[in-house]
Amino acid sequence: MDDLKLDKKLKVAILSSFTLNGLNEILHVKCSELGIRYQSYLGGYNQYNQELLNSKSGLYNFSPDVTFLIIDVRNFLGDSFHYAHDISDDERKTLAKEKITELKNLIETFENNSNSKLIITTLNVPSYSPNGIIETKLKFGFYEMIEDINNSLRHISKNHDSIYIYDFRQFISKFGEKNIFDYRQFHLGDIQITFNFIPHLANDLMSYIKPISGINKKCIVLDLDNTLWGGIVGEDGFDGIELGDTPNGKAFVEFQKELLSLWNKGIILAINSKNNVEDAMKVISEHPNMILREKNFANIQINWDDKAINLKKIADEINIGLNSMVFFDDDKINCERIKQEFPEVLTVDLPNDPSQFSPILKELNDFHVLQRTEEDKKRGEMYAQQRERNKFEKSVSSIDDFLKNLNIQVNIKKSNDFLIPRISQLTLKTNQFNLTTKRYQEEEIRNLSNNEKFTVGCAQVLDKFGDNGITGVFIIAKNEKFWLIDTFLLSCRIMGRGVENAILSQILKDAKANGVDEVKAQFIPTQKNKPAENFLFDYGFKKQENFWVYKLNNEIKIPNYLKVETE
Amino acid sequence: MKLDDVNTIVAKVFSMPESEITDESNPETIESWDSFNGLVLVDELENHFKIKFSISEITDVKNVADIKRHIKNHNVS
Repeated sequence: MDDLKLDKKLKVAILSSFTLNGLNEILHVKCSELGIRYQSYLGGYNQYNQELLNSKSGLYNFSPDVTFLIIDVRNFLGDSFHYAHDISDDERKTLAKEKITELKNLIETFENNSNSKLIITTLNVPSYSPNGIIETKLKFGFYEMIEDINNSLRHISKNHDSIYIYDFRQFISKFGEKNIFDYRQFHLGDIQITFNFIPHLANDLMSYIKPISGINKKCIVLDLDNTLWGGIVGEDGFDGIELGDTPNGKAFVEFQKELLSLWNKGIILAINSKNNVEDAMKVISEHPNMILREKNFANIQINWDDKAINLKKIADEINIGLNSMVFFDDDKINCERIKQEFPEVLTVDLPNDPSQFSPILKELNDFHVLQRTEEDKKRGEMYAQQRERNKFEKSVSSIDDFLKNLNIQVNIKKSNDFLIPRISQLTLKTNQFNLTTKRYQEEEIRNLSNNEKFTVGCAQVLDKFGDNGITGVFIIAKNEKFWLIDTFLLSCRIMGRGVENAILSQILKDAKANGVDEVKAQFIPTQKNKPAENFLFDYGFKKQENFWVYKLNNEIKIPNYLKVETE
Repeated sequence: MKLDDVNTIVAKVFSMPESEITDESNPETIESWDSFNGLVLVDELENHFKIKFSISEITDVKNVADIKRHIKNHNVS
């Protein structure tokens, strides 16, 4: 693949305490497949201390976006790995303290020298102890000592935005110590993860790379017959489908429960099914064992149309990109159709056995987020409200009446500690209504918020159907003569309601109040931001060389159907 | 499962035409035969012949003939 065509770039550093051949190559391939231009830095074998502690190290010179620190319990404890069984409880406690201080020191130095995200592995707890069955009866045993170190790591990650933990014990529990650790490979080359399992490790690490690159999936589109329940409701009838009770029926319930958990975490669900609407909706609303109900679906397409057309309709109506969608269907032909028409959609081939649906869903590493905001938790509810809004829109005759009757209120807020994660999240993932598509990590937003030469703000949008949450962001670079709009974006779910005009008007009013002559803005075109293309022109900005400029002696219009409040 | 399969597996692991593999082939004559790919080869051979090599067998291998000699000791002919 031609690296130059890839539009996202990611610099990845891998530091490890043991031989990890192949990991870098696999990550490179996986990133390229996703359109990420991958650059990497590999720390020397077991050189992680030197790399992290020396501010002039190759690591810091490389200036990574993401750093994986993969340490194993043997090399980390050194000789103590074996001797720690022989010392007293108190000595073990002291050893744990020393080791925790060592880790804290590494992390602190890293944070002082780099803006990179840092992903640290926890230490594996070996399955063997010479204490045998009374290991856990010790006052402070070996297992407890390792857990103590792991808990400290978890604690650090809770209090540092840029530090994440990769629970290596979960990796071991998924694949098994006897499979992953081979004494021959270990003695031959300090290989502590047999190479057959390196692809699995790479897959797990992609769970971090995907959201850091802003390419996580947001929406799951589901078929109904033989996907959410067994059988075909149109033929087998309401009482004839398998859902609950039977072994197969239990598998469908399990799958639905996993989907509901994702919905509760902010993943959007939608239906794309060839069916009679009445038959299908009756199951969804009335079947006693149905887990997912109408309110869980942001969009429902039940008809006899082409599934690809329906899928496009869902994407358009929810207003998200096809590349953030996952498609589940038991029918191979439907899957082929979607793959051929929309290769950017992740199409999951379901096997005939429904007991595998839930494990397949859980294998996907596409739904991870770097932080979960209040908006995420409420997303499902918001989309259900959106469906109501759309019904309402169809029932009123003109768009102006519709907007007036929506009772939109825009609350403009200045950035603060609570809002920073959401502001960063919006800059990372908003593609459509985004004038400059500049991506900012949390640390960068924090720095800009603390810089007097910048204003970082955002907008909360409410209407008669509920709270849309923080859905607009602006960043302004200020000097005495003019203000420059560095970033201006609007989440796609509130586009087309005049909210953008309200926010922009407020910025212009502020600028005028600060005695500035003009406000400059830029539109940087991308493949996706066409919806924002005419925004500045329509508002009344004039093109001057590379910038769009608004002279503040002109009148500042404010949409009259919106209520705007500032702090 | 016969001893001749060794050449096929060696060729596959080191991405070479099988015709170029002889009993004398060794890490000097095969460029991609480094220590890591050597372990990949061990893994492929073990899976194919359903055997397990000892560490001394693995470290003793200097060329393809050595591989065949050790596999023979695991009762493959």
